[in-house]
Amino acid sequence: MQQTILLLSDGTIFPGTGFGYLEPGVERTPIAEIVFNTSMTGYQEILTDPSYNGQMVLMTYPEIGNYGCEGRFCESGGIKASALVVHDLYDGPVPEGRVSLSAFMEKSGISGIQGVDTRSLTLHLRDHGSQNAMILTYNDAKELELAKERLASFPAITERDLIADVTVAEPIVDPLIDGSRPEHPLCRFALVDFGVKRSIIRELYKRGAAVTLLPSTATKEDVMATGCDALFLSNGPGDPALLRDAVAMVRSLIGAMPVVGICLGHQLITWALGGATVKMKFGHHGGNEPVYDHLAGRTFVTSQNHGFMSDPKSLPAGVKIWYTNANDGSIEGLIDEERKVASVQFHPEASPGPHDASSIFDRFVQMGVAK
Amino acid sequence: MSKRTDIHRILVIGSGPIIIGQACEFDYSGTQAVKALKEEGYEVILLNPNPATVQTTNGLADHIYMEPLKTEYVEELFQRERPDAILTTMGGQTGLNLAMELSRKGILDKYEVQVIGASIKSINLAEDRERFKEIVEGLGLESPRSVGVHTIQEGIQAKNAIGYPVIIRPSFTLGGFGGSIAHDDDEFMENIARALEISPVHEALVEESLIGWKEFEMEVMRDHKDNAIIVCSIENIDPMGVHTGDSITIAPIQTLDDRAYQNMRDASIAILRAVGVDCGGSNVQFAVNPKDGRMVVIEMNPRVSRSSALASKATGFPIARCSAKLAVGYTLDEVLNEITGKTASCYEPALDYCAVKVPRFELEKFPLPYSALGTQMRSVGEALSLGRTALEALNKAIRASERKLEGLVDLKEAGYDDEEIGKFLHSAHPLRLLAAYTAIVRGTHTLEEINQVTGFDPWFLHQLQRQAKLDARLSQEKLERDLLLEAKRYGMSDKRIGQLAGKSEQEIYALRQQMEIFAVAHHVDTCAGEFEALTPYCYTTYGEADETRPLGEQAVIIIASGPNRIGQGLEFDTCCTLSSLAWRKLGVKTIMVNSNPETVSTDFNTSDRLYIEPLTAEHVKEIMRLEGTRNVIVQLGGQTPLNMADELEAAGANILGTSLDGLDEAGDRERFSALVRRLGLRNPTNRTAHNPREIYEKAKEVGFPVLLRPSFVLGGRGMFIVDDEAGLTDFIEHSGVETSEKKPVLIDQFLEDAFEYDLDAVSDGKSLYIGGIVQHIEAAGIHSGDSAAVFPPYKSRPHVLAQMRQWALLLARELKVKGLMNIQFASKGDDLFIIEVNPRGSRTVPFISKTSGVNLIEAAVRVWHGEDLVGQGLVPAEGAVAEGKPLMGWAIKEAVFSFDRFSNVDPALGPEMRSTGEAIGMGRTFGEAYAKSQASAGNLLPKSGTVVITVNHNDHQTIIPIARDLEKMGFTLLATRGTARALFEAGILCGVVLKTQDGHPNIVDLMRAHKVDLVINTPMGFHARRSDDDIRSMAMRLHIPYTTTTSAARAAVEAIRYEQEGYYTVRELPRGRWEE
Repeated sequence: MQQTILLLSDGTIFPGTGFGYLEPGVERTPIAEIVFNTSMTGYQEILTDPSYNGQMVLMTYPEIGNYGCEGRFCESGGIKASALVVHDLYDGPVPEGRVSLSAFMEKSGISGIQGVDTRSLTLHLRDHGSQNAMILTYNDAKELELAKERLASFPAITERDLIADVTVAEPIVDPLIDGSRPEHPLCRFALVDFGVKRSIIRELYKRGAAVTLLPSTATKEDVMATGCDALFLSNGPGDPALLRDAVAMVRSLIGAMPVVGICLGHQLITWALGGATVKMKFGHHGGNEPVYDHLAGRTFVTSQNHGFMSDPKSLPAGVKIWYTNANDGSIEGLIDEERKVASVQFHPEASPGPHDASSIFDRFVQMGVAK
Repeated sequence: MSKRTDIHRILVIGSGPIIIGQACEFDYSGTQAVKALKEEGYEVILLNPNPATVQTTNGLADHIYMEPLKTEYVEELFQRERPDAILTTMGGQTGLNLAMELSRKGILDKYEVQVIGASIKSINLAEDRERFKEIVEGLGLESPRSVGVHTIQEGIQAKNAIGYPVIIRPSFTLGGFGGSIAHDDDEFMENIARALEISPVHEALVEESLIGWKEFEMEVMRDHKDNAIIVCSIENIDPMGVHTGDSITIAPIQTLDDRAYQNMRDASIAILRAVGVDCGGSNVQFAVNPKDGRMVVIEMNPRVSRSSALASKATGFPIARCSAKLAVGYTLDEVLNEITGKTASCYEPALDYCAVKVPRFELEKFPLPYSALGTQMRSVGEALSLGRTALEALNKAIRASERKLEGLVDLKEAGYDDEEIGKFLHSAHPLRLLAAYTAIVRGTHTLEEINQVTGFDPWFLHQLQRQAKLDARLSQEKLERDLLLEAKRYGMSDKRIGQLAGKSEQEIYALRQQMEIFAVAHHVDTCAGEFEALTPYCYTTYGEADETRPLGEQAVIIIASGPNRIGQGLEFDTCCTLSSLAWRKLGVKTIMVNSNPETVSTDFNTSDRLYIEPLTAEHVKEIMRLEGTRNVIVQLGGQTPLNMADELEAAGANILGTSLDGLDEAGDRERFSALVRRLGLRNPTNRTAHNPREIYEKAKEVGFPVLLRPSFVLGGRGMFIVDDEAGLTDFIEHSGVETSEKKPVLIDQFLEDAFEYDLDAVSDGKSLYIGGIVQHIEAAGIHSGDSAAVFPPYKSRPHVLAQMRQWALLLARELKVKGLMNIQFASKGDDLFIIEVNPRGSRTVPFISKTSGVNLIEAAVRVWHGEDLVGQGLVPAEGAVAEGKPLMGWAIKEAVFSFDRFSNVDPALGPEMRSTGEAIGMGRTFGEAYAKSQASAGNLLPKSGTVVITVNHNDHQTIIPIARDLEKMGFTLLATRGTARALFEAGILCGVVLKTQDGHPNIVDLMRAHKVDLVINTPMGFHARRSDDDIRSMAMRLHIPYTTTTSAARAAVEAIRYEQEGYYTVRELPRGRWEE
């Protein structure tokens, strides 16, 4: 009998029901690292966030799909996550002008599984760490074995190049966001695109900053050629340790112009400053993470999505910690006022999540203006 | 750490007696605050005249004062205790209003008392609708279009500018009290006049109607460093137009996309910042137009509230506790999240379940017209359930509201006809959601139509439709494992599944055993599993991995009392909480089961484990299995746990304390009468009628007047006193009480002019410790819960009291009572009667425990634990009786009513309980105690002025000395013709006033003209005449004190005498034998 399951690389099976686009055949079923996200809203922003390339998302909140999907909520051209795991998928009427989550996923060729015991799956990932998984529809034991073999031989996220799929192919000057771009920019960022979320550009535009998007392979010269005031390193998927060229590029520009970054960008800055990043057990993925601002002496609730972090032991002297996570003490931001470097691990652009830290963009833009 | 060291002594203000709109939630928040402040080393003084609360438990705060929440008394308290600060945010609207009055009168300044929690300025900003509106608009947000008015003329102008329908809200009232909707000029003129009248500042708001809009609430915390978090978001399933306290709600918000949600979040925090709430929690309410998404700010409460209690229980985040810490200077990032034990409180709980709240109405006691629900809260309690899906939580919560509904059910099956269901659907009624469900099941309306008519969001209607589809499968398909599991995952009870599948509840249960479909427990961990939870707060669900860490066979399950209702409220929750504390002191682990989110018993640290579950045998049985224990306590939560005792015992439960047989012998009229005969005691003649014909026969045997009531009810629901045969016919035809073989009607001899008593005791089976005997001021026939009760008995002959003690011991031994026992006695002349015996915790246990200084609950727990009363030092020798007495002169418990919520209800008292809460007065003299009990209950006794006396013929002699005293005390007396003649004959001169039916100006006219300060009106028998109704209704509306018995009138005289002396003495509650 045909069954749909979520199969983890450690062999654990969670039964469920498939939805969205279901890939026929075990050979073609996508494999991705499964991570849980504790946001209670914003499934569409999450699915379309390029940082999720190579990952499938487990939503811990059980009722998903409640308000449908709509183009303006996309953080990129389409769904970037590999798959979606939910407890209870809403398939009723959605507001006018929207489509159901299931239809949106089907159109994007993305599979999902519902009816999963997401609570015990979350606890499993919390206790055993994030790992590769696949949503599998199979007919017999042989197919299940085949799937397990594929999972076993599939590379870990630390070995995968996930940027190529999500970066721009060519530089783009002032990409249109919500149909507009800044008319009289106060400054220009060279924004190296490792899979940038639209909201980041939106926040920069809102503050009168212009943006030249560059491919992830951009060199120092490419950056200089944009005539920009500052370098902006975007968020993106995968392990920063793989991005040696980018780190070299960043290192070469620190001191030459202000350098800022978010998420993966922050991790690249960590490397460029002489530090290192490490993989976390299950990361921070959600909209409720408290971060303590060492400069302001207060705490913000932030949106986060990362599986790697700056290693506190690796940081050279002189690099100041800007933010730390109020729960686990991990580094959430770095600042070097001397060399005009600032970065945050969390997502001040939110989307989804709280806007509390959006003033960080004010600081970034100021750095660009005051170069 | 930024804890304040400039303050040392903090006064916490409680909310006083329970009324509709202000209930147990403030006991919960106050208790948390007291504990949190003590933990920080502050000396905590508590002021709350509500003896039913946990927070007034002797020894909990450093100093407890159960004195009136009036500025005069507070000033005395300031002089005596010299607090440095006053925490005003824990006592609901009452607490805020008192703080503002203290500030206005300069008392805070005079005694240099700082306000902590919410500043007077921020309270004023939040409460003053016009200024609040300016703030909202200043932030670029929208308010409903509205105008504040002070006169009817201004009101008309405002109404013309806005257009019908308009909402009218009086300023500064509790729980939306007095709010209304006007659709036309008639409604408008009536409502605006009323609103201006009841507003303490004679101000009202005329506002654009948002009926049918989506309604949301945000529970926000903010500290002085501007850290702010949303603890919980709540969506009202009932759209705008129904008071949020009366709405079915769900947490978190379900139907907003992230952008809309974040905008609302930003708005909430911006509002707190602008209003200046910088050390505590607030609740901000929003409405969203479903057509265009326009978001409007409705209001904010700068304090903990019913919603914050709900949010605390829905998320595991203790808002009140955290607010108290912020009030003394801490910041959110300094306060630890105790649920996880490792994370900071400066983060927002992530839920991986849904939390649904269903309000509890008293439709039987306070019948509601179809369109009853509106801007004024009418529900008396609420039930919370958690489930992995909205449907599961909804089905459980409906069941948990204990309205005899198994969950989402077809109302036709529940006995309603098409016409009624249609009316429910088209009006704001508590059964509206079920009417929508019925319409879906029956296919009478499409989802779009229902959405149009009701404003229920399509998302919720879709959930109802899923249930309807599953129901259809259950009635048509074979009950395979998958289908049965699916039904359990939808939160359906075995009983409901059985109803649909044509099987009994027992068959479904057996099937589940056979198929191994069992409940599993999940933890409420505030973080959706991201961190391991330390504090075990659980709910059950089906078909998932179990997280229980069983407490094992020694643990004790305490079944609490469920949603508040009249007759079963805070007192019982206090009993359950105190028992958990007592067990834990003995080293026994406790498991609390309750569905009431307002309570202390559902605080996560009251017990070793907490289950938020509907209180039904099915759920408790699953918890027994999960936790591996059979020990269950059913004696402390009122009738709810007792109702399931048989079923639990049959399932192997070890019911602690008195055996079920003992309970049955006490509760079964016939067995009990036999027992009384056997022991040679006396009870009123009584019979049982199994059909209407028998009622006539048996009533004649008993002799009129008779008391009629259905068997096995709490709070005297459906009780009637009948004088003659015509009254019997009236009862049979109109009371709504069923008389049948299965549901017999009890007929008792009614003792006219007798005194009633309550005796609360603890028995170990051999000896008896009587905590105290209280005597009721109101005569027999008025429900004991509605009567003022005096401790010790104030008008009793010693040999009658001695007989009570002796009878109590006999009964306790014969019934083999182990634990608590309550006996109601009546005395008529020298004859003593037993009215009823309840071998369980009663409503008076907390009152007696506190005022006598002996914790009766703890004594009972220790008996259950195997320690007899001699061992506890409560009785001198085995077989003896000992009795407690008040630690301080007199203690009087006065009942408090919420009649002003129900303009259609006659406020006369009778055998059916209708009070919602209680207040206490303690003093050296009876007058002092009674004066304080009245002040605390909100009855403003006059010191001078005019008294109207109109008493029935029987009372003409008794009233004479009372009238004489009033005359001497300087009051002007007015009486109706008959009473005036009796007074005149006794040499008392008084004016004559007309009864209402005798023309004008009559009593009611005088009252309306504010020319009456006290009314003494004893009705003509218990079928009050129209005239008396009018007097009482008017007195209630205008807050004129009135008494309906001569004994209450006598007590009032004593109290007025005390007040005329001008003292406002405050007395600290002594600790007695209570330990920490």
